[in-house]
Amino acid sequence: MDDKVAIVGIEYSQGDDLGLTRERLCFRTVRGVLDKLGIDRHAIDCFILASNDFLEGRTISNVFEDGPVGAYLKDETKVEMDGINAVVYGALRILEGNYDTAMVIAHSLCGHQVSPYLQVQYSLDPTYDRQLGLLNELSGAALQARAYLRSRGLDEGWLDRAAAAALANGAANDMVTRSLDGADESKVASSSYLYEPLREMHCYPPTDGACAIVLASAGRARELTDRPVWIRGFGSSIDSYYFAGRDLTRSASAADAARRAFAMAGISDPASEIGLAEVSDLFAYQAPLLAASMGLADADEAPRRFAEGGFGKDARLALNPSGGALSAHPVCATGAVRVAEAFRQLRGEAGAVQAGEPRLALAHGQDGLCLQQNTVVVLGI
Amino acid sequence: MRDVAIIGVGYCPVFVSKRNDVSIPEMISEAVWSAYRNCGLTPEDMDAFTFGNMHTFEGVNMPHLWSADHITALGKPIMRIATGGTTGMSAFHCAYYHVASGLYDTVMTVTFEKHSEGDAQVGLAGIITPEIMTMLSLGIDLTGGSGMCGLGGGSAGGISFQATSYLHRSGAGIEHIDAQAALERRNAAKNPYAHLKDPECTAEKIAATPMVSYPIRFGHICPTTDGATVCILASAEKAAKVADKAAWIHAVANCTSDPTTGNLIEGLITDPAEQMSCQIAAKKAYERAGIEDPKKEIDLVEIYNGFAHQTLMYLEKLGLCEAGEAHRMLERGETEIDGRLPVNASGGVVSTNSIGTSALNRVTECALQIMGKAEGGHQVPKKVRKALAHGWGGLMQYNTVTILGDAPLKR
Amino acid sequence: MGEGKKDFRVVSGAWELSGFNFRVEGRGMRLMMRGMKEGKFTGIRCGSCNMVYLPGPFYCRKCLVEIDEPVDVSDHGTIRSFTATMSDIRGNPLAEPQIALMVQLDGCDSWIMGVLRDVDWREVRIGQRVKVRWKPPEERTGSLQDMDCFEYE
Ligand SMILES: [Zn+2]
Repeated sequence: MDDKVAIVGIEYSQGDDLGLTRERLCFRTVRGVLDKLGIDRHAIDCFILASNDFLEGRTISNVFEDGPVGAYLKDETKVEMDGINAVVYGALRILEGNYDTAMVIAHSLCGHQVSPYLQVQYSLDPTYDRQLGLLNELSGAALQARAYLRSRGLDEGWLDRAAAAALANGAANDMVTRSLDGADESKVASSSYLYEPLREMHCYPPTDGACAIVLASAGRARELTDRPVWIRGFGSSIDSYYFAGRDLTRSASAADAARRAFAMAGISDPASEIGLAEVSDLFAYQAPLLAASMGLADADEAPRRFAEGGFGKDARLALNPSGGALSAHPVCATGAVRVAEAFRQLRGEAGAVQAGEPRLALAHGQDGLCLQQNTVVVLGI
Repeated sequence: MRDVAIIGVGYCPVFVSKRNDVSIPEMISEAVWSAYRNCGLTPEDMDAFTFGNMHTFEGVNMPHLWSADHITALGKPIMRIATGGTTGMSAFHCAYYHVASGLYDTVMTVTFEKHSEGDAQVGLAGIITPEIMTMLSLGIDLTGGSGMCGLGGGSAGGISFQATSYLHRSGAGIEHIDAQAALERRNAAKNPYAHLKDPECTAEKIAATPMVSYPIRFGHICPTTDGATVCILASAEKAAKVADKAAWIHAVANCTSDPTTGNLIEGLITDPAEQMSCQIAAKKAYERAGIEDPKKEIDLVEIYNGFAHQTLMYLEKLGLCEAGEAHRMLERGETEIDGRLPVNASGGVVSTNSIGTSALNRVTECALQIMGKAEGGHQVPKKVRKALAHGWGGLMQYNTVTILGDAPLKR
Repeated sequence: MGEGKKDFRVVSGAWELSGFNFRVEGRGMRLMMRGMKEGKFTGIRCGSCNMVYLPGPFYCRKCLVEIDEPVDVSDHGTIRSFTATMSDIRGNPLAEPQIALMVQLDGCDSWIMGVLRDVDWREVRIGQRVKVRWKPPEERTGSLQDMDCFEYE
C-alpha cells in the first residue's frame, strides 16, 4: 500500500502494577498522545477501543471508557480482541474515506487487579474443555512447547536460553518494568515449573498496560507530524479451535496473516526486506516459531539463532528488541504495543533498544490458545 | 469511497426462548448456511468475517475462537466487535469498512445470542459490577432502604426514567406505549423469524399486563431470545457478478455519549430521553447519504426498541417526525405495515431480542424489504427506495444508524 | 427442530468474578460522602467549562482535562424523571411501590437518584421541586445513607 494511512503518534506504558484505575489509565494514555501531537479530542474523527469484557469484569465495558478516552459525543467502537486489530480497523476506516484521523486505545489491568488467565479460560468450549478442566492457557502452551521442542530437536535448556535472550532485550528497554536484571539462563532454569516444560520465566508476566495510537490519512498525517510511519500492509487469519488437524509446531494462521500483509505491502522476500519484527511471544518458544512461520527466518535455524542472541538489535533482522510479550503482556494492548515499538524503531526513537535504521518493520498480535488467531501489520518509513 | 451492497441474509430457522436442540456453534452455523443459500455463494467466496455478540450473557469469552470452524472462517481474517445492544450493527459497520476500504470484496457478518445458556440479567447487572463492589465495600446497603436507591434491576431500572421523561416531553400517554407494543406483536406474527407473536394483540391486552416500574409494563419489554443472524456484504463489482438483488449501503454512522444511569460513581449527565448521540449519528448518516429531508425521503424504518416507548421516542430523535408527533403517527396508522412510513414491520426488538443479532436484524430487515424478500406477510406493500436501520446499546448512551437504498448512492 | 435432533444434554457452568480486585476512582465519592455527614453536597467543577458534577469525576467529559475543584451543591432540586418500582431486583413484588427520582440539584449539571417517600406515586410530576430529608446529625456516618430520602419542598 502506498502512502495512504499513517501512524502519527503513540503513547504507551506497561508495568507490573501501574497503580491506576482503568479510567485514569485510559485518560492518561490518550491525553498523553493528544498532548504530544498538540491537538485536542475534537481533532479525532473516531475512537476504536480494544479491551475485553471478561478482563474488565463487566459487560459492555467500553461504556465507562468512552469518557476517559475523550469519545464523549463522538464516534466510538470496540474491537474485542488484541489491539493490533483495532489498528487494522482504524486503517480500514481511513481508507473508506470518511475519516481523517482514528484513535486506537488498547488496555488491560492484568498486573494485580485481574487474573490474565481468566479470559482465556472462559474462551474454552464450556461443554467439553471447561468440563474436563485440563486445558487452559498454560497447559495448552506447554503442549505446544513440547511439540515444538521435539520437532526442532531441542531440549528444555533451549527454552531457558531463549527466554534469557528475550528477557535480556527487555532489561534494556525502559518501557518495560518486569524485574529482569540478571535474568540469565541459570536464573530462568531455576524458576519454578508452571506446566512442565514451561517454567515461570518461560511465560509472560501478568502486566498492566495501555497503548494509544493515532492514525491519519496521508494529507492529515503530514499536518500532524513530519515523520509519519506508513501502514504498508496488514493481514490476519484464524486456525481451528480444535487441536486435531493443527500442526502445533508452526502457526498456519500466522503464516496466512503475514502472507497477506506482505502481498499488500508489495514485499516478495520478507526475510531480506523486513529489518525489524516485533511479535507477541507470550511464551519463550513463540518468537522463533512465529518468525519461521511468517517466513522471516529458517525454521530449523531460527530457534538456535534466537537463543544465541542472533536476532539482536545489530542483526540484519532484529526480532523483539523491545523484549517482546515475554517482558510485558498487557492482554489486549500487547499487539498494539508491538506496533508502537515498531513505530519508534522506524523513527529512530527507541533509545537503548534502537535496532539500526530499519525501513520496514513487522508487528504481530495474537488471540486464542496456542496462536489460534494472528494479525500482522507491516509498517514503513 | 466504494459502493457496498448487502447481497445475502441468513437467519437460524426460528427465534425462540430456548434452542435446546443445538449448541452455540451449531446454531450460528445454521444462520451462516442460510445466508449462503440465500445468495448462492459458498465459503470460498468470503474474503473476511466480522463477528459480534455480547459474550458475558453466555459466559463464553470471544466465542468466535470456539466457533471459527462452524462459521467457515478457517484461514480467513475475522474481527470481533462488541458494543452492547448495538453489537450486531457495529459488527456490520466493521464489515462495511472492510469492503469500502477497497481491500476486500465479500465479507460476512456473523452475530448471535443464546440467552438460554446464560443469564441476561446477570450479564446486564455486570455492566456496573465494579461500582456495585465499591458501594458494598463502602458499606452501602443495596438491598433497599438507602436514600440513594435506584440502581434498578437489570436494564429495566434506568429505562423507566427514560420512558417517563419521553412521555413528559412528547405529550404521549402510557396508552400509546401499549398501542405501539401491540402493533409490533401483530407485526411479529407475520415474521417467521420473530419470537413473541400475537396476531390479535391489542393495546387493551398490553395494558392488562402488570406494571413493572412505572411507566413500563411487562408487555412493553422485549423477551430474551435464542437466535443467530448473518449478513453478506459485497463490492459493486462482486454484487454485479453474483447477486440478483441487493440493498445498497448509503451511509453508516454511530455516536456514543456518557452512561446516564447506574453510574453513581461519576454522576449523571443527561436526560436519558435526550439521546443526543442518536441525533448526532442520524445527522451524520443523513449527510453521508445525501439526505436533506429524512421525513420525506425515508420510506421504511427499523428501530432498536428493547422497550416499546423507544419506537416512538427514536422516531423523533432520528428526525423522522417532529418532537411529540410520533404517537400521532401511530394513532393515524401511518406506521403500520401498509402505512405511510412502516416502522418495525418485523415486530422490532420488543418482539425478538437475541442481543447480538438485534441491531443487525434492523439492517437485514431493511435490506429484505428493499429486495422485496421479507417473508411471511410482513413485506410492506409500498416500494422501498430508502430505509433506515437504528441500533441502541451501551448503557443507554450508544446509537448506530445505517441507511440503505435500492440503488447505489449517487455521489 | 426435527425429532432426530433432540439428543442433547445440559452442562452447567458459572461465571466466577473472584479473579478481580477492581480499583475505582474514589475521590469524588469520598468528597461527596464527607459532605453528606454535615448535611450538604460537594461536587467538582470543571475550571474550563464550568460543568459541575456530583459525585465529581477526576476529569471533565467535555474538555478531557483533569478537574479537582470542590464546589457546594444545593440540597434542593427539580425532579427531572421518576419511576415507581413495583418489584425488587429479583422480580418479587414490593409491599409498597417505591418511587425513585432523578433529581437535578440546584447548582449542579449532573443528576442524582433518590427515593421519594410519603407520596402517592400517581401524583408525582416532572418539574416538581424537592429537597433532601437528611437523617438526624447523630445518625449520619458519612455514607450515602445519610440522606434519608427526598421530600417535596
Ligand atoms: Zn469541562
